[in-house]
Amino acid sequence: MKNSGLRRARSIAKKEVFHILRDPFTLALALGLPVFLVVVFGFTVDFNVKDIPISISDGDKSASSRLLLEKFQSSKHFRIVYRNTITEVVSDLDSDRAKTGLIIEPGFEKDLQAGRPIKTQVIQDGSDNSTAGVIIGYLNGVEKAYLSAAGTDARAPNPMLEARFMYNPELTSSWFVVPGLSVVVIAILSILLTTLTVAREWENGSMELLLSTPVKPIEIIIGKIAPYTILGIIAVIFIYLAARLVFDVPFNGSHLLFGFATLLFITAYLAQGVLISVVTRKQQLAMQLGMISGLLPSLLLSGFIFPIESMPVFFQYLTSILPAKWYMMISRHLFLKDAGYMELLKPFGALLLLTFVLVTVSRKRFKKDLEP
Amino acid sequence: MNVTLIGFLKKEFIQALRDKRMRVVLFGVPLIQMTLFGIAISTEVRNIRLSVYSKPMQKVGERAYASGWFLPVVADRAEEPVALVRDGKAEAVLVAPEDSVSRSIERGDGKIQVLVNSTNIIRARGIESYLKAIIPGAVEQEAGSSLFDVRVLYNPTLESAVFLVPGVMCMVLCVITIVLTSMAVAREKEVGTFETLISAPVSTAEILAGKMIPYIVLGMINIPIMLGAATLFFDVPMRGNVIVLFLATFIFVCTTVSIGTLISTFARTQQQAMMGSFIFLFPAIMLSGIMFPLENMPTYMLATAYFNPLMYFVRLLRNIMLKGGDPSTVIFNMAIMALIAVVCVVICLKRFKRTLQ
Repeated sequence: MKNSGLRRARSIAKKEVFHILRDPFTLALALGLPVFLVVVFGFTVDFNVKDIPISISDGDKSASSRLLLEKFQSSKHFRIVYRNTITEVVSDLDSDRAKTGLIIEPGFEKDLQAGRPIKTQVIQDGSDNSTAGVIIGYLNGVEKAYLSAAGTDARAPNPMLEARFMYNPELTSSWFVVPGLSVVVIAILSILLTTLTVAREWENGSMELLLSTPVKPIEIIIGKIAPYTILGIIAVIFIYLAARLVFDVPFNGSHLLFGFATLLFITAYLAQGVLISVVTRKQQLAMQLGMISGLLPSLLLSGFIFPIESMPVFFQYLTSILPAKWYMMISRHLFLKDAGYMELLKPFGALLLLTFVLVTVSRKRFKKDLEP
Repeated sequence: MNVTLIGFLKKEFIQALRDKRMRVVLFGVPLIQMTLFGIAISTEVRNIRLSVYSKPMQKVGERAYASGWFLPVVADRAEEPVALVRDGKAEAVLVAPEDSVSRSIERGDGKIQVLVNSTNIIRARGIESYLKAIIPGAVEQEAGSSLFDVRVLYNPTLESAVFLVPGVMCMVLCVITIVLTSMAVAREKEVGTFETLISAPVSTAEILAGKMIPYIVLGMINIPIMLGAATLFFDVPMRGNVIVLFLATFIFVCTTVSIGTLISTFARTQQQAMMGSFIFLFPAIMLSGIMFPLENMPTYMLATAYFNPLMYFVRLLRNIMLKGGDPSTVIFNMAIMALIAVVCVVICLKRFKRTLQ
């Protein structure tokens, strides 16, 4: 009995394989697209900012103010545009031509020499979250360089903070981005691969044929998922090789665990795709739901860029229903950290549970009646 | 407007709205997603689990906890600082020099060491800069008057929601319109009704208009809903002219609908249409400037980003909502989006003719 079930699942899988092979476009995408996207965006995503356009109006035009401008120039972070009036500076910010403005008041040098508190005004464009904080941070560096060059630093030396960054000592962007990006890409692709499979059979009418055979829902689901799991694993192997060879990301954990987690993760998202397909029975709706539940949540809520720890408590729990969150933890841990497998118990447990729930719910929702 | 087109439009509207679940997806989900992401995501680094390892650092620790960014972790004295980070018990550990801090600082060589888990570099950076700001005050030092008086315009408190919500609005709108339209023609091809359509006495321009107009309308219906939510729930200011905003959105929706239709003309099946729209959407979102700065990208990627309508729309929306809409910037960005739309429509027309033969 059990054996024949396995045989039936295999037949469904075989049919699905034919289906995949018949559409080389989708096949090529499933295998090649993930690694392509990871490589391209691995090079692209960088949280440092260079060449920030800064509009400067120098009302003093003295040796001291020129020294300050020189420090902006030599910091390499800024690209200076000279303006004559404050109005021009503000209008540069209004029209997105500059991100930052610097206004040096007349009398800057005099105040400096007299030891009076000096203020130069920096106006910062606050409409762009990806740069505002970083730029304000750079100002400190410029200030330090200026004060030491001007020789006016009478302040007591600050206690130096020596930050030792463990696991990614140079804060290399790609070490952080590549493992995260691979999670997002694989999540979305897995959903997209299966989200249409069952709906398509309903629309084409071949589902009725399938239902008239003794095959059980769980066998259909397993048969549908299995071939895509293999595709997904191959895609992850490509990504892994790219991460190691192209980006030199270290891998400190156990490959066995990584493989197991990957298997669970891909199965979870494929099952989510099948679930959507089973529930909707319509390709267009299935695709909308697939994109909605796959693309934006795994990009925004998985901890890829926006930290989960910073979310309101409710959302920290809510995001737990996303397999991507857990796999993200496992992936980053295994790539960059070395020890502490106890930490992985929870993500693994959660991933296992989610996979099980998704498969079970799809099986339950897989009604065999013809009317939806 | 001719009768054929009206009939055709009617058919498309019925087809899109027939399914009740589809209506929910079209009008409910964008709002839900925007609210969800608007509340959940922020670029701030919060809830940092900080452990204070040595006694002299207690004061620094107290100040850190009082700042609200850090959460205390009670450390087991027997455990090494490195082990605390390794086992995930703490994200950062303050370690003091052997001497008491103040004395070594008097000598001018005071160094406070902090161990930071940098598997997440965004958080690691945040932790470093917070501590740098906190430490001078904690060791009873004059923080010193800063040379720069920084004034942040448009979003003075750097409230995350204010810049993220317009961005999320753009993303959600983009996803929904692209997905809808990319399947429209592909479905007709798959089901076989496309041939009927071709043999019917409608011109290619009419088919194209009939396919695009309903989705433009459906996309636009979402705007007042989303805009209302943004300004009411999230206190995103609306400094510009609402009409300008609607015009910008209209052009953007036209652009995405024409891109979706273009994908649709290339795809033979709905599966391919879906893959095609993913190939567009993923880079579009990544290169939109919402998630990370575009300024530092390699030139070849920057060149790609210049073809990204989402990037222009994000800039437009932020400029209009937060800055009040500088006319030349608004016109420039709108013109580029319109240009992209026109190019896509022209290619669509060409593709349609080829299919006819």
